[in-house]
Amino acid sequence: MKKLLLLLISLGLIFGCAAAADKRSLKDLPKSDFSVEIPAGWWKPQYVNKYLITKDGPFLQYVLIQQRPIDRPFKNTKKKLRKRMLPLESARIIIDEIASDRNITNFKAVENTPAIIDGHAGFKILFTYKDKKGSMFKTLYYGFISNNTFFNLRYNAAIRQYYDKDIADFKKILSSFKLVEG
Amino acid sequence: MDYNHLELLESFTIWNLHQLLEAMMKNMSSTPRLKYFVLILTILCLATACATPPPISIDEALTAEKEEKLLWRRAQEEQQVINDSGWLYRDPELETYLNQVAAKLKAFTDSPDISFDIKIINDPNLNAFAFPNGVIYVHTGVLARMENEAQLAALLAHEMTHCTHRHSLRVLKSIKDQAGYMAAVQKTIEKVVMAQDLARFLGVNGSMAAVSGYTREFEAEADRVGLDLMAKAGYDPRQALNLFEHLQQEIEIEGIKEPFFLGTHPSVQQRMENLSQWLATDYSGNIGLINSEIFRSRLDKLVLDNARLDLRIGRFYAARRSVQKYLHRNQDDAGAYYLLGEIFRQQGQQDDMKKAIKLYERAIALDPSFPAPHKAMGLMHYKEGERRLAQKFFETCLLLSPNSPDKAYIQGYLQRCINSGEES
Repeated sequence: MKKLLLLLISLGLIFGCAAAADKRSLKDLPKSDFSVEIPAGWWKPQYVNKYLITKDGPFLQYVLIQQRPIDRPFKNTKKKLRKRMLPLESARIIIDEIASDRNITNFKAVENTPAIIDGHAGFKILFTYKDKKGSMFKTLYYGFISNNTFFNLRYNAAIRQYYDKDIADFKKILSSFKLVEG
Repeated sequence: MDYNHLELLESFTIWNLHQLLEAMMKNMSSTPRLKYFVLILTILCLATACATPPPISIDEALTAEKEEKLLWRRAQEEQQVINDSGWLYRDPELETYLNQVAAKLKAFTDSPDISFDIKIINDPNLNAFAFPNGVIYVHTGVLARMENEAQLAALLAHEMTHCTHRHSLRVLKSIKDQAGYMAAVQKTIEKVVMAQDLARFLGVNGSMAAVSGYTREFEAEADRVGLDLMAKAGYDPRQALNLFEHLQQEIEIEGIKEPFFLGTHPSVQQRMENLSQWLATDYSGNIGLINSEIFRSRLDKLVLDNARLDLRIGRFYAARRSVQKYLHRNQDDAGAYYLLGEIFRQQGQQDDMKKAIKLYERAIALDPSFPAPHKAMGLMHYKEGERRLAQKFFETCLLLSPNSPDKAYIQGYLQRCINSGEES
């Protein structure tokens, strides 16, 4: 019985590792209304149906790019983005949304400043938080509203060792971001 | 633009293990090899778990004392998570006041061994919960909506009874195995959606069965004994029913999900009927302390702080009611007028902007050196294209608060105001 179990585990590990190696690519990124250039070494976890890429695994660092209709409700705040909102106003809503998230503790907005993303007036928020286990993360979050869509790009990483390591890659991704005419 | 695919890009704030596992499970069917891999890993984990004895076996016929020690130890671990979470509302004077009320009630309990400690959680929901070791957490949301000290005593007496009558321990002893106990408690907690995230996050699933909703029998006991306790301590017992009715009304008006303290709907109605019956039969003509004035004066600051939390989650109506309640007692508080203005501005319904402007003006009149309403007025005029007016307010704001956290935005808007003035 023990031998059979060991054999099963070994086979599982071999198949699992092979499968995992196969999946380290950028294929299956969702169709989107923007384009970005992604530096080498980043890959999309296959089990995520989002425009999310990572280098060392999503718990250590990830870049997430999202687009959503502005009238779509948020998870934690009932407030909504509006087309004519100033970047300061939309930044405040995003901070409220994240600060109200019960999956995190010790949220702290370190910086909230205006930013230009692909020529659009937007905002940049830098914040830190802890997860349930007490690990500390840092997120750099850019966002802007274009027509009726809210676009956001964020870089999230464990503060220890990972945040500084890949921030330059995120800056490259950010500067390559372009809306694609639909 | 085609938004059909946007379902895949639904916003989420923080990526965590829970979401990752969910995503993995969802995608299992489309990745057979991964499925087998996880299946084998699961077998491995189960085999390992079966080979390792659980840390503490319920079947070992632990004594009540030992079981209680286990509960208290778990409670202390969970409390540590809460205390380190940054969610505690820090107001030593208010905590002292709450603990004084608890002490009055404790004098009439039969459990001198339990030392009660009342703490406040900075959260706008209408919850309260008790750990078996006597530590009781009350949310700012429920405190902000109370009207007097007797109502506070009603809530505390109820939660204290869960501790003094060993409800957690009795739940534990009624379930034969630990896994069953954990599952039962988790199921109880999950009944109350609003508390679910917080409870799960805090790991409140093992030792406490803390919040209301153990069983109907225990809730009824806590209501009955709690009522007796508050009456013996000299409080007006009718305020217990008033608290229930008041919170129920708030919930309906605000359309918010039911609070933990009240439990789930059918039992709430039953509990209110029970209270009415007991009041009519056992406490008829029983009049005691209400202590409205002292209660309100102690909770003034909390009411305003909780209004900010309500505003943060977009509960405009609740936030507005709280600020108005505060202003009723503090008519010259510029900060409160500004906050009320913010509520109207952010709500953004018809005539709200006009109301907001009036409130900002009132705040400025009360305290011309308060920068926030200047900034808000500047933003409103800026959006309306009234650049000259906006410029004036932005300049004043920066003058009053040169290191404002929003300085970079204001400077940018101010520069555009100046440029447009030069162009015209």
